[in-house]
Amino acid sequence: MSDDSHTDPTDTDDSHPPRSPDVVTPESPYTIPGFFTALTEGRLLGARCLDCETRLVPPRPACYSCGSRDLEIEPQPKDGTVYSYTEVARPASQFADDAPFTVAIVELDTGAKLTGRLETPYDETEIGMPVRWTVRAGENLPDSGLEHERDWPLPVFESA
Amino acid sequence: MPDPYISAVGLSPIGSTDLTGRDLFTAALTEAFEGLPPPADVVDAVYVGNQSELYEHQIMYGTIVAEWCGLRFAPAERVEGCAAAGALALRHAVRDVRTGTHDAVLACGIEKMTAGGSELATESLSAAFDRPLEQRAGVTAPSQYALLAQRYLHETDATEEDLAKVAVKNHENASRNPRAQFQSEIDVETVLESDYVARPLKLFDCAPVSDGAAAVLVTNEEVASTLGSSDEQVQVSGVGAASNNIAVAERDLTFIEGANVAANRAYDQADLSAKDVDVAEVHDAFTVCEPLLAEAVGFAPRGRGFESALHPSERSAEWTDVRLSTSGGLKARGHPIGATGLAQAVEVYEQLTETATSDRQVPDARTGLLVNEGGVADAVTVAHVLTTEGISNE
Repeated sequence: MSDDSHTDPTDTDDSHPPRSPDVVTPESPYTIPGFFTALTEGRLLGARCLDCETRLVPPRPACYSCGSRDLEIEPQPKDGTVYSYTEVARPASQFADDAPFTVAIVELDTGAKLTGRLETPYDETEIGMPVRWTVRAGENLPDSGLEHERDWPLPVFESA
Repeated sequence: MPDPYISAVGLSPIGSTDLTGRDLFTAALTEAFEGLPPPADVVDAVYVGNQSELYEHQIMYGTIVAEWCGLRFAPAERVEGCAAAGALALRHAVRDVRTGTHDAVLACGIEKMTAGGSELATESLSAAFDRPLEQRAGVTAPSQYALLAQRYLHETDATEEDLAKVAVKNHENASRNPRAQFQSEIDVETVLESDYVARPLKLFDCAPVSDGAAAVLVTNEEVASTLGSSDEQVQVSGVGAASNNIAVAERDLTFIEGANVAANRAYDQADLSAKDVDVAEVHDAFTVCEPLLAEAVGFAPRGRGFESALHPSERSAEWTDVRLSTSGGLKARGHPIGATGLAQAVEVYEQLTETATSDRQVPDARTGLLVNEGGVADAVTVAHVLTTEGISNE
């Protein structure tokens, strides 16, 4: 594994999980607002476990795989492949205008896996297909009704 | 440590009704306590599984259930874990009896899902998914399970037709269960020709939206012996629970690890193994769940769980001879979310006490497994091993 992430500009005091309540702020990449602020700026942040190399997107205070708190922030690569996918035919009402739409689990080149919309029709999608993520701004998403997440963007996938 | 016994069970009708959640509970409670002293003379504490306050705009179901039992001042609380809430309630009751905290605890589950139609059910169930990325992308319960199904079909020899056969088998079982929501059999074509809800899953791959309530009385041996004869009791011999990641993407999609861990914990406590299980109710919220869970809890070899719809004699050699979802499962008995884990207990109780209707009774059933999950597959799993280790048999 390359140690490049140690020289990454995001490797500041914020790079490691909070060990004190004082650093649990909306600016920390280990909080959900901090994660979405970075995404708004075009960076999809994960946390890399320094003990077992698991990737966590979004970053969390501890590794889900081994329990370690020795993590560091790692911007995730754009590229990945479709791991599984489906087509939502009957979404909840706030997404009705989008239906039907494709949803995929994508494995990024780091091994991180996350779910998101895939802007490829279901019939043209297959497991293993190369994709890359892009950012859809919060104002272009259906209104969730929750004030605190109104500006949050979402990663969406497109065929690469 | 006192052994916990299930001494009485009750289940409301499952389906769509004008009754409210608390009325459905009354129906379940009435059945459970038929011929017994009043609940207030028996029960020390109450746990109630309930998924969502959106259906009836009502939380505080612990308080309501205690009140409806005539149990003012009894400790009572709602347990939350989406569709695993019922088995979590049972787990708490079993723990209280084992630790000697209480002599008799009522585990119950209530859901009034049809209140706002399928639209409210879709909305309400979506709260079980991870908010920041999953919910906001517009995923639904069927689409979450479709991600598992797509991968399962990719990695194994299973086909959509194999999944359809699970639905057919569970409808057939339900047709022999007077408690089931669906009383009619279906054929493979009906499933395959039904509309896609989330490809590759179709309408008939999905459990229905259901109203229902269940009540299961857990007691120590002393109380059990005052309530009925030993052939009316089953022992809870093992309990296991496990959580897994909230985001489906980060879990093993084709090996349900949380169910594996929970079932093994329950087997270990019971000093039994998968091959000892005669009957099992597994969490078939969607057809693909039954094969996945059959593999996870050790009934089927990896990749062959889709043979669950076949008669035991026709399955791969490494399969156990377990009978799966004799009630009709979530698919056809119905799936009133918070009550489902306890509806599973009702079925296995009937199988082990030989009180199931004659055409669905499994002969000589002595050991049963319950696998109840919540929040897409194994976000949380609770497994219980029930046995006929009777009071007088020990």
